[in-house]
Amino acid sequence: MGSTACFIIVSRNDIPIYEAEVGSAIKKEEATHQHQFILHAALDIVQDLAWTTSAMFLKAVDRFNDLVVSVYVTAGHTRLMLLHDSRNEDGIRSFFQEVHELYIKILLNPLYLPGSRITSSHFDTKVRALARKYL
Amino acid sequence: MTFPATPRSGFRAVVRGRNIKLTVVVVQSFDKDEVSEDRMIALRKRAEIDSKYLLTFVQKSSSDLKHSLNRLGSIVAELANTYYRDEGRRVKTCIEKKSFSSVDLNIRYCFKVAVYAEFRRDWGEALRFYEDAYRALREIIGTSTRLPAIQRLVEIKSVAEQLHFKASTILLHGGKIIEAIAWFRQHHAAYKKLIGAPEVIFLHWEWMSRQFLVFAELLETSSAVIPSNTSLPLVTKDNKPLTESEFNPAYYYQLAAHYLREKKCCLELALSASEAVAEIESSADSVIPSVYVGQFARLLEQGDALVMQNLTDAEYVLYALAEGKRFQDSFEIIALLKKSFESYSNLKAQRMASYCSCQMAREYFSVGKFDNAKELFDGVASLYRKEGWTTLLWDVLGYLRECSKRLGSVKDFIEYSLEMAALPISSGDEVQSPIHKGEYGPAGCASLPQRERIYSEVFGIMKGESGLTSNEGNVTLNVTPERPIRLEIDLVSPLRVAFLASVAFHDQVAKPGASIFFTLSLISQLPQPVEIDQLEVKFNQSECNFTIASAQKAPISATSIGKTGARVVTAPVLTVVTNKWLRLTYDVTSELSGKLECKSVIARLGPLFTICCQAESPASMNDLPLWKFEDHVETFPTRDPALAFSGQKFIQVDEPDPQVDLVLGASGPALVGERFMLPVTIVSKGHEIHSGELKINLVDARRGAALGSPREMEPISTDSLHVELLGVSRPDGDDEPQTGQDNIWKIQHSFGLLSVPFVNLGGSWSCKLEIKWHRPKPVMLYVSLGYLPTSNGSTIQKVHAHKSLQIEGKTAIMIGHRFMLPFRRNPLLLSKIKVAPNSNQSTTLALNETSILIVSAKNCTEVPLRLVSMSIEMDENDIGKSCTVRQRDESQKDHALLVPGEEFRKVFSVIPKIHSPNLAMGTVCFTWKRDSGLDKQSDSNITEAGIITRHKLPDVNVEMAPLVVSLECPPHTILGIPFTCYVKIQNQTEFLQEVKYLIADSQSFLLSGSHNDMVSVLPKSEHILGYKLVPLASGSQQLPRITVTAVRYSAELSLPQATSTVFVFPSEPHFKMGNLKEKVTEIVTTGA
Repeated sequence: MGSTACFIIVSRNDIPIYEAEVGSAIKKEEATHQHQFILHAALDIVQDLAWTTSAMFLKAVDRFNDLVVSVYVTAGHTRLMLLHDSRNEDGIRSFFQEVHELYIKILLNPLYLPGSRITSSHFDTKVRALARKYL
Repeated sequence: MTFPATPRSGFRAVVRGRNIKLTVVVVQSFDKDEVSEDRMIALRKRAEIDSKYLLTFVQKSSSDLKHSLNRLGSIVAELANTYYRDEGRRVKTCIEKKSFSSVDLNIRYCFKVAVYAEFRRDWGEALRFYEDAYRALREIIGTSTRLPAIQRLVEIKSVAEQLHFKASTILLHGGKIIEAIAWFRQHHAAYKKLIGAPEVIFLHWEWMSRQFLVFAELLETSSAVIPSNTSLPLVTKDNKPLTESEFNPAYYYQLAAHYLREKKCCLELALSASEAVAEIESSADSVIPSVYVGQFARLLEQGDALVMQNLTDAEYVLYALAEGKRFQDSFEIIALLKKSFESYSNLKAQRMASYCSCQMAREYFSVGKFDNAKELFDGVASLYRKEGWTTLLWDVLGYLRECSKRLGSVKDFIEYSLEMAALPISSGDEVQSPIHKGEYGPAGCASLPQRERIYSEVFGIMKGESGLTSNEGNVTLNVTPERPIRLEIDLVSPLRVAFLASVAFHDQVAKPGASIFFTLSLISQLPQPVEIDQLEVKFNQSECNFTIASAQKAPISATSIGKTGARVVTAPVLTVVTNKWLRLTYDVTSELSGKLECKSVIARLGPLFTICCQAESPASMNDLPLWKFEDHVETFPTRDPALAFSGQKFIQVDEPDPQVDLVLGASGPALVGERFMLPVTIVSKGHEIHSGELKINLVDARRGAALGSPREMEPISTDSLHVELLGVSRPDGDDEPQTGQDNIWKIQHSFGLLSVPFVNLGGSWSCKLEIKWHRPKPVMLYVSLGYLPTSNGSTIQKVHAHKSLQIEGKTAIMIGHRFMLPFRRNPLLLSKIKVAPNSNQSTTLALNETSILIVSAKNCTEVPLRLVSMSIEMDENDIGKSCTVRQRDESQKDHALLVPGEEFRKVFSVIPKIHSPNLAMGTVCFTWKRDSGLDKQSDSNITEAGIITRHKLPDVNVEMAPLVVSLECPPHTILGIPFTCYVKIQNQTEFLQEVKYLIADSQSFLLSGSHNDMVSVLPKSEHILGYKLVPLASGSQQLPRITVTAVRYSAELSLPQATSTVFVFPSEPHFKMGNLKEKVTEIVTTGA
């Protein structure tokens, strides 16, 4: 498990709908906002890259220093973005796939408005558990 | 290497030892003054050089000079190449034999070989040896003890930088961009951990930053083409994918800035740690970079000589700190970020660019350039606002708030604070711990308590209760009575989250003067309830403006309303609770017709602070962009949910009802061709009519479009118009248009405008519209009267009364015609034989024979019509010549009355005179008028001439009949009494005609004469067949059928059955038989 990982789900209209710091240790000198800044900036690349491939998992699209941004784009153009410093690509892939399934379950909820913030605590717990498992 | 032409002894020894190459150049002014061959050979021998290295150099002639220079250049290049190859080879053998004393020397040798290879443009070898040197350098880290620790690391890094630079340059210039990037990555990974001693960490960060900067510049200036997107994913040799941004210099600039920032932080830390600042400055003076890369030495003056003295680490640290202080890193960082920003902007990578500009702004902020910082932050904030990244927005707004505080801009400070307080952040309830203080911007951690803190702070300022002094500057933020604060919130303002006003009228239209109800709703996402002292509601009709005052704060509102006459209402409570609509329902009264729109709602909070909120319609209201997807309760702005979807902030106020009757007195449909009179009556019932204007418009009822607007009407001729407004006749005795300036009298084809004179209360005025239909067509007639109810006011709006009426235009008369053969006469017409009987051919008439034309006219209307006359008009050019058309019976009375549906017939006899295939027959003119039995007198005044309906008769084919068969027999006989019947066969040709005839027996008659025979008829003569017949039955009896066949034309001729009947009386009739014969003929003629 990497020391830093910031996970964010960005809806199709570029609004973050879920965010979680899933790293084991949050570095002191790095502001939490810094991660979001990097992830937000990486959206530009994702935007270009998403249409060049049919794969959902775009692997590492951007890096900032030691931090790498891996992205998973769902069919509905919701982007699961992970900022991490670990190199475990297979783990990240599995993590994304399982979170995608969780996200689909959220979407199936008739009371959930697609594109709105995910506030389910169950989802949050599950995501953090998956992060511990795979990252 | 040139050598003077004068040979000197001893130079050879010098040359040989150091592997020096030699060339001899004989410099001449002109080509002519040649040096003798012997002398040249001698010279060559003395210098011991090959003949090709001896050359003559001619100075004066330009072409020779060029040639000589080229030669010299190539020789020197060749020699240099050889020299460096030899040197390189020599050093290489040293490396291969490992005949060096230390690793340091190995590095130096490798470097040397590489440089020599570079001289020879042997890039492959150069790269190989640079890499070797680099690798060797890696090995000595931690092993070498030649220098004190800090300086050693500095030296190693400097050398590594040098080697890396060389390698990268070669790779990039060779177009191997992927290798170059991989190389850089490896370089970065290898050295990033070598932080070194804690007191000089900043040196490490500075070095890192320089690596990125240098590589960025190399990448930017290199000619290497960046692989296009399609070849992604790019993978380096060790199978690590490259991201797209790594090909972009902007990425490296950005990271260079990042590390420089790191350096700045560490340097500040180091400076604050070292107390002896003065000492730093004094001791640093004499330290200079040594001749060796990455080494520093102290320069000491010992007498005249300068001596380099090595430094201790402590001394070096002091020197480094002093050097570090001299540079202004912030500007360097900003410059780097700016480069990165521009590059990203050019790539349209907006988010990357805004991240750079955000960092730039932070840097400006840290150096105290708040103006620049604020401008940049504003740009960034708008992007985050648009994309809804609230935590980022929070951070940026925190900076902006701080900037405006430092700049002393109270209004901006309040705006940013309100926006922050209303951001959808509710998750984090973590308390800001002092340890984490450095992590966040000036706004602190994004959390609900923080929002509440900001809220109470800003409201404290707004109410004037507390000023805010920024601790850094000497600027105090407070609101003074001289500078009251007024915030404007429009439809796109980010402050809509803080304060949103929606206005919905309950109805869509309203009567003037009546109460118009509307609901004013306010909502706020601020974390705590907002107490409003008073609300001003502004309309586009300023008379409707009014003020709602809070009941609790009544004294304030009473004093602050300056205007007299403005309406003030009191509301029990004016507190906007978070995310809960404050709904207020009031009524206004508008006297003016037209649109009444609520413009804005101004909330007054305290004596010095107002928020002017543009009113929004619930129907077209956008969601709050940031709160749209949040998990919060959504309610309707109005109690009635339907109104929340359809409510508008404007209402249409109707015109006052016209108290005038506009009567269109139409009587039934109009008839095509007549001047249809339509009386229009205006009766005043409650209003006097001042400066009235009557507009008349005729519109095609089917298409809905106007028959033509007044402007378009000019080019269209009157013929193409189907319906036309001919004029308006004034009431009796007022026929000529009055002479007055404001008296409008304008009539066009489908449009009329006329002024109505003053009409008293209870009075009336009328006129008649004259409309003429040219074609049958339904038409909508729109009449509208606009008037002023009183005489004095131009301010008062006009009142309009409208009326419309659909009028059918109908064809009055249908005219038909029929040609008939003459009675009991049948000319043989050849064209009739040839064609099929049903084909559409024009009627054929026989030349010089009398044919009969029956013209019928049917009344298609629902009103009785009176016939004035019916005649056939010939075309002007051939009257009388071609044919004679005569009215058969002059005795027929004119002015016959035609009841609806009745048909009128008239018989004409036609004798064609010209042999022509299409003979014009002329036009039937039927003159008629409406039969209005009662007021015949007045009616005849207007339509004295009657209306002429024309019907063009079709052209007929006239040809000569070769044979004419006619029957002659009495119209009536008496039973049992024999009578004679003749059949005349007339030959009109120049030939002998053979004619067969056949008579069929009839039961009613006893017949004598030949039944079946053939006769020859001489040219231009006639043959008569006579029969004696005895009638056997009484009544109308069919004569025996006679069929005549012309052999020459093989055409049968028989008389029509209708004409070959005879009436048989049972016995001699006992009435007077005076004129009977004529009468019978007449009956038959008209009834046929």
